Amino acid sequence: MQKNALRFLILMLCIGISSLYAQTSKPVKREFKFGKIAPTEFEIKASGQDSSASAIKLFDVGDCYFEIGPTSGGFIYVFERHIRYKILNKNGYDLANFKVELYKSGNSAKEDLNYLDAATYNMVDGKMVTSKLNKDAKFTEEFNKNYIIKKFALPNVKEGSIIEFKYKIKSDFIFTLRGWRFQSSVPTLWSEYNVKIPEYLTYKTNMSGYYQVDHPLHENVNASYVTGVNSNAVYDKYCAANVPALKEEPYVTTMDDYNPKIEFELRATNFPGDVYHDYNGSWSKIITELAQDENFGGYINRNGYAKSVLPGILKGEKDTLAAVKLIFNYVKNSLKWNKQYSKYSNETNPKNLFEKKTGSSGDINLALLSLLKEAKIEAYPVLISTRENGTHPGYPLISAFNNVIAVTQIGNELYYLDATDKDLPIGMLDYENLSHNGFYMDLKNNDGKWLSTEPNVPSEKIFVYNMVLDKEHKLSGKINQYAKGYAALNLRNKYRATNNETEFIKGFKKDKTGLEVSAYKIENLDNLDELLSESMDAVIEDNVEEAGNLVYFTPLLFERTKENLFKLEQRKFPVDFAYPFKESYRITVNFPDDYEIDKLPKGGIFKLPEDNGTFTINYVTEGKTLLVRSNINVNKSFYTPEEYFDLQALFKAIVEKQAEQIVFKKKV
Amino acid sequence: MKYYLSLVFATAIINTTFAQIDYDVAKIPENLKKDAVAVIRNEESFFDVKGLGAAKMDYKVAITILNKAGETYGEMEEVYDKFSNIYNIKAALYDASGKKVKDYKSSDIKDQSLISDFSIFEDNRLKLLKFVSLTYPYTIEYSYSQDYKGLLSFPSWRDLRGFGIAVEKSAYTIQRAKDYKMRYITSSNLQTDSVINGEKLQYKWKSTNVAAIANEPLSTGFDNISAWVKASPNQFEYDGSTGNFDNWKNFGSWIFNLNQGGNKLPEATKLMVQNLIKDAKTPKEKIKILYNHLQQNTRYVSVQLGIGGFRPILAEKVAQVNYGDCKALSNYMKALLNEAGIASNLIMIGNDMPSLNPNYSSLGQANHMILCVPLAKDTTFLECTSQYNPMGFIGYGNSDRNVLMVTEDGGKLVHTPVYQPKENYQVRKTKITLAEDGTASSEIKATYGNAQFEENFSMTLMEPVDLRKKIIEESAIPVAELISYKYLQPDKTVPVLTEEIIFKTNPLLTKGGDKLFLVVNQINRRESVPLKLEGRKTYFAVPFGYNDDDEINYILPKGYQVEFIPKDITISSEFGTYTAKFSVKDNIIVYSRTQTMNNKKYPPEKYGEYVDFYKKIYQADKQKAVLTKTL
Repeated sequence: MQKNALRFLILMLCIGISSLYAQTSKPVKREFKFGKIAPTEFEIKASGQDSSASAIKLFDVGDCYFEIGPTSGGFIYVFERHIRYKILNKNGYDLANFKVELYKSGNSAKEDLNYLDAATYNMVDGKMVTSKLNKDAKFTEEFNKNYIIKKFALPNVKEGSIIEFKYKIKSDFIFTLRGWRFQSSVPTLWSEYNVKIPEYLTYKTNMSGYYQVDHPLHENVNASYVTGVNSNAVYDKYCAANVPALKEEPYVTTMDDYNPKIEFELRATNFPGDVYHDYNGSWSKIITELAQDENFGGYINRNGYAKSVLPGILKGEKDTLAAVKLIFNYVKNSLKWNKQYSKYSNETNPKNLFEKKTGSSGDINLALLSLLKEAKIEAYPVLISTRENGTHPGYPLISAFNNVIAVTQIGNELYYLDATDKDLPIGMLDYENLSHNGFYMDLKNNDGKWLSTEPNVPSEKIFVYNMVLDKEHKLSGKINQYAKGYAALNLRNKYRATNNETEFIKGFKKDKTGLEVSAYKIENLDNLDELLSESMDAVIEDNVEEAGNLVYFTPLLFERTKENLFKLEQRKFPVDFAYPFKESYRITVNFPDDYEIDKLPKGGIFKLPEDNGTFTINYVTEGKTLLVRSNINVNKSFYTPEEYFDLQALFKAIVEKQAEQIVFKKKV
Repeated sequence: MKYYLSLVFATAIINTTFAQIDYDVAKIPENLKKDAVAVIRNEESFFDVKGLGAAKMDYKVAITILNKAGETYGEMEEVYDKFSNIYNIKAALYDASGKKVKDYKSSDIKDQSLISDFSIFEDNRLKLLKFVSLTYPYTIEYSYSQDYKGLLSFPSWRDLRGFGIAVEKSAYTIQRAKDYKMRYITSSNLQTDSVINGEKLQYKWKSTNVAAIANEPLSTGFDNISAWVKASPNQFEYDGSTGNFDNWKNFGSWIFNLNQGGNKLPEATKLMVQNLIKDAKTPKEKIKILYNHLQQNTRYVSVQLGIGGFRPILAEKVAQVNYGDCKALSNYMKALLNEAGIASNLIMIGNDMPSLNPNYSSLGQANHMILCVPLAKDTTFLECTSQYNPMGFIGYGNSDRNVLMVTEDGGKLVHTPVYQPKENYQVRKTKITLAEDGTASSEIKATYGNAQFEENFSMTLMEPVDLRKKIIEESAIPVAELISYKYLQPDKTVPVLTEEIIFKTNPLLTKGGDKLFLVVNQINRRESVPLKLEGRKTYFAVPFGYNDDDEINYILPKGYQVEFIPKDITISSEFGTYTAKFSVKDNIIVYSRTQTMNNKKYPPEKYGEYVDFYKKIYQADKQKAVLTKTL
């Protein structure tokens, strides 16, 4: 955990330093006029690692500023974007189909596409030909009651075309502004975002990503919002030049964590004649707001439902841990998660939720807190940014969270509680919540801090094979398998999602050619605190082979790691497994009397620096019994890009050593 | 008086069919629970044809979800558009004993757009409801009415929706006026009851107590084991158009007429065509030039709205914007050819769908449009949505099927070209030079044709960074260092792709005591055998017929000796043939492997033989040579 906290600090420091440093560089004056294409733009080619890119983003310029809304009389924000691409080959054609997403809420608050212009430019016989967006190439998709998608298809797009879009959105939703991403799937020559915030509003900014963004301007400018009143605004410019294309890598939280970007969240308002409104300028303020929110603290405090059901749940249970389990199980068994993450409840009263029987993670976990509170058990909400949602920057920013779980302390132990999945035991979080940290809040005492959400036990799989080899090259005996942690969670999910045991066994055998099983038994399926065990009788054909008077087989049979998980030559981003894992395998084989083993493969230990991972394999024979053991330990959930090559080497050793054969000689 | 009574009686019958039935799970016959994740308790579709362009559907269904695996059936997902509005939706949830636990409100039902992946815009929408129950089993029930304005086709019906679902009762009724003309086809043993009800005639079909089928791989569908009905109007009205579907000829006339006058080109485009072909001598050359022009200058953009789902956008319009869907681009290409003096015909085709049924014409058997250019000696088919296909190559999804050629004399069924297994080839030569430590340098040279060209073509379009990753990730031989690679289509007019990869490998020899083992087939191994199935019920087929031809030369390092080499293997069956040959000459192991698979549809009882065939290939593919060090 300490290491993770450190990583956090370093990341934040970097951001701090970079923006300070960058401020000294002078802004370059650039102009972007719709329809004004320099002939040289048609000559631009991709270069370097992106030399065969499908398109180049020539520029992407955004402006964000405020005005007074005509209906509400309050501030709304205006977002303008002007983007120009050069299409290099046919793979880039999709860029000519453009969409703009607009949001509207249940009341009258909404976003409007206020203006849009788009065109394609082609060089024909040395002359530029402009093709405007056709009227009948504009579409409005009413996706659902909250989202509208405006779609556009540009005409006459060919290899070498330049296309451009310019549009303006007016939005009533000023709590968070549209952010800006400086990198995309095609290389970008220039990207800038200009933000003018009235003096009456202050926003927190969140810059993140793995590419340097400059911040050349930060100054006060004159602005007029109401006729006759002179006011000021703070003008910030952020920009980046020559940004390469962003390429995906496996084992990451979300690629968006690595895209350089900036996001905005309202900190405070300070209107003349009104008091200063701090929305969430500090953790303390955030906690206060949440404590009062009817979809958070208010919801937890609605104790009517808890009062009515608790006596029946607890039946006088005095032990705290036992009581937590009873309540946790009650919530898990009474509610079904609708697969939506939310840090707020959608309901305003847990009672409605228990009637509906289904809700978001916020509905469910805050209801759990409501019950725990009523039972006088100390439990607290923990805000989470899920892996998909991206790493939280660490400083007070409510919009960067998208989920909530609960934590309780019993004795010296912390127990995380997430009631969205029946198969999650106390103390275990769903994979998406494994983003290393969560923000714990004591709503009553207005206290909060970051807590590590690192799993303290690795996910573990254990395979035990006891086999007898006969002279027809058939192995028969027993297989026992055990699973802990996330391995157990995954197995439970798979088992439950399969129609019946016959189908489950079919799935189990699918990639294990030659295996026939009978007397399959699974134990502790519903007993989440115990080791999940499977046992079966097995007959294995087709795995022991013969060549002349040699008989040989790979002792790891179906559990051999056949391929290196890390084949690629390069790694830019950290490897994030979410949890550490272990895999151990043991096989004993009794072989026929007239078989001899000449020479066993060499056993070995392979270790990563600082005990970050190990692989051991060893071979023993005693009389006509062979024993082979293999253990893989990946001890961390997070490896830096530099450590990638360690992982690669570890898995290379695993693949090679696990492939080694046991060779018997037949006595003649 | 008697008349009056019978009328009351008739009404009563209609009422009872929609009355409450008992959803107690205990009442489901045991045989229906076997292999089932869900059971359709009762499904009733009543389709009332009110006229040439109007109909009403009353639909009601109740499904018991037996376990978690059945949850996908615990949803209402009904599609509609502005010509088929859905209303009067009712939904309820029942527990295992059949007791109603919840009535859903209209606010519980979500409404969202439903646009295919390939389209930018369509007018389809979805009514959506997810039923929630904490315990299994439970039963969902919903009903709705749907008004059709315009009638191109009737809803079809099938009792079995998929693997793992059983049917207690499912029924379909079509009601029409006595003088209204329509056609239908059904599964082979399905009984059709015709009932006269006043001025109306009803066709009734039903299916009861059909057990579920556990999942079967490579299945070609349920046609042979399920009860089904497909029905189609003869005359119809839709979105301001009228036509007749009673045979393919008339169907073709409708499409032809929809497109009347849609073939004009602007003067500038005409000039351009003349300019492009001015030096071309033969019609074939002209087609090639114009097809190339189409591929270089247009892109696929799909918009499907009302009759626009059937009527191509005017060629004039495409000339202006240079994009369109399959219809628009085919029709535009037709106009370009026409300007060059070459006649061509639009083709309605079921892409990745079965052949058109020669005996039953209806909408819905085709989902795509291509172009056919009949020449004196041969006929060329053009896939106009592809920016890359060589001229005349229409891809596996369009090949070998009955399609409808649209002519001024109406529709005509024709057959698209067949790509034989031998033509869908992969010919690959690999040279592997082994080093002392078991690693090797490897050189692969391969050629892919037709369907295999199509499968691998995207390699030529990838950016180097991504291509590199893909080669390393997907290489059968473990790559230690990728030295060079090249994917080429040597001749843009021929569906042939070449591949050259040079790389250093991770160790290929595995140790075993003092021996070294080499899996002789390093590159095209069958890694598993399909699971055996008892009592398979559905037909099966391989995705496509093909021919793989591999030769690998292993050059052994000094001081290594071949102690054992596997014997040659030949396997043949009606599914295909396989040979593997092993030989040693000096310090070279030569391995050659061929596999040819046929693309026929096989009856279920053959599946055991198919599994055996693959089991033999699996065993043959993992044969090992044993090497020793002589020093």
